[in-house]
Amino acid sequence: MDVAVPPQPVPDLDTKGFWEATAAGHLAICRCKECRLWMQPPLERCRLCGEETGFERVSGDGTICSFTVIRHPAVPGYLEDLPYVVAMVELVEQKGLLLPSRLLDAEPGETRIGLPVALEITDLPGGDYRLPTFRIVAEAAVPEVSRD
Amino acid sequence: MSRRPVLVGIGRTEYSRNSGRTTLAMAAEATRGALEDAGMDYRDVDGFSTFAANDSVFGAAVAHAIGIDQLHWNIDLFGGGNYATSVVSNAAMAIEAGACEAALAFRSLNGRSGHRFGRADGALSVGGDRQFTGPHGYLTPPQWLALWAQKHQDVYGSTCEDLGQIAITQRTHAGPNPHAVQRKQIDMQDYLAGRWINEPFRIYDCALEADGAVAVLVTTEERARDLRHKPIGILGHVEAMGHGGSFDHWPDYTTMYSSEAAPLLWERSGIGPDDVDLACMYDCFTYTVMVTMEDYGFCEKGQAGAYFSEGRATYGGEVVVNPHGGLISEGYIHGLNHTFEAVLQLRHQASDRQVEGAELALVTAGAGPVGGAMVLARAN
Repeated sequence: MDVAVPPQPVPDLDTKGFWEATAAGHLAICRCKECRLWMQPPLERCRLCGEETGFERVSGDGTICSFTVIRHPAVPGYLEDLPYVVAMVELVEQKGLLLPSRLLDAEPGETRIGLPVALEITDLPGGDYRLPTFRIVAEAAVPEVSRD
Repeated sequence: MSRRPVLVGIGRTEYSRNSGRTTLAMAAEATRGALEDAGMDYRDVDGFSTFAANDSVFGAAVAHAIGIDQLHWNIDLFGGGNYATSVVSNAAMAIEAGACEAALAFRSLNGRSGHRFGRADGALSVGGDRQFTGPHGYLTPPQWLALWAQKHQDVYGSTCEDLGQIAITQRTHAGPNPHAVQRKQIDMQDYLAGRWINEPFRIYDCALEADGAVAVLVTTEERARDLRHKPIGILGHVEAMGHGGSFDHWPDYTTMYSSEAAPLLWERSGIGPDDVDLACMYDCFTYTVMVTMEDYGFCEKGQAGAYFSEGRATYGGEVVVNPHGGLISEGYIHGLNHTFEAVLQLRHQASDRQVEGAELALVTAGAGPVGGAMVLARAN
């Protein structure tokens, strides 16, 4: 077992659009073509109205909903080089639209809930996948989360 | 006569860090133990229930291993500690419905020497929801619940010391429990000196991974009349499955499934938090005790630390929380050891750690978006 390599995603028919977008260098989230609801994880049909969905590019801006400083080795590819910080990022496009992310270059003592973050697509070691990751940015760079 | 379901037998193995046995062997010992405890013959059992996560043995195999040739009801739930009360309450429903006459609910795992819930060693490729979390190194419950606890600290100002009060109280309770894997007493200085797992969790906030098995025997009130012990009744039970079971997309990390389950359980049981004598609160982490204490109405949001530090959660207080030491100190037998303890307490057989005059016990199961609970009663 190669413990130096992080877990590799296994896309399925509903999620492959997500990974195709990151491969192309941007973040796209599943969205209902009818009621315009954003959905993560992606679904073939809207979970509320049952209509067709597709992937739409998002700004890549968000805020830290919560985070943890991971100090205990538990996951392949992350057994050394500890600690690292993982956050649930709330995207500005919709309240409660959350994506997990290892925060790039985040200092444990300086990471705070509510801080703005911005997308940075990074290569996932061990394969061809590219990963949507985020980095803490200066306050002014991010618009308010839409509360619609 | 009444088909009302009652708990009539409890069994278990030693809890250890390295059993050196199969989950089948341990499950057979625990289920036989429950039958012997009740004074019932295996030929009278025709129902089986268990839960596991690819880490144990099927119920039918255990039934066969203890001599049973035919079952009339059997469920093998796939999942975590959220099913620790469901295996008992589902058996109760099956008995009440007439699907079977007596059922053994069990959980058997080598949680320390075999598959460990705190690690994701085999996760080389991840599908489903985990394809979005695993690549970031975010794949285990001690990571997920730490992130939830961080949110609680931000919103309600709860502290690491609050979590520490829970860990210390439970370790104090484990002291006189000879079955507990960890009985070494700790104070706040020890707690704060404990190594970090994932902030804000230290080592003492996490369940003590262990090997072992527990079994609970359920039958009808009628059948219980000529059995060995006073039967323990079920006043009410509940399950809550929220938001697809996702630890990521639950809308408020400062509450859990229990915010949905608690009002239902109190309504079904006809009692409230002030009425229970002991509470076996599912404690894969101290944080799940904190939130369930709040959600079940023992204290206000953000007040759990004070509740414990003021002695309200121990002997002489308002409710004794995890008198056996819980999963954090007795050992992580995935929550079914909570029901074992509740039955022992309600029979008034808990020796040195007996909660005086215990009549009603709350038993909870699960964490995050999914869980269940029961109210068990001495009176029938």
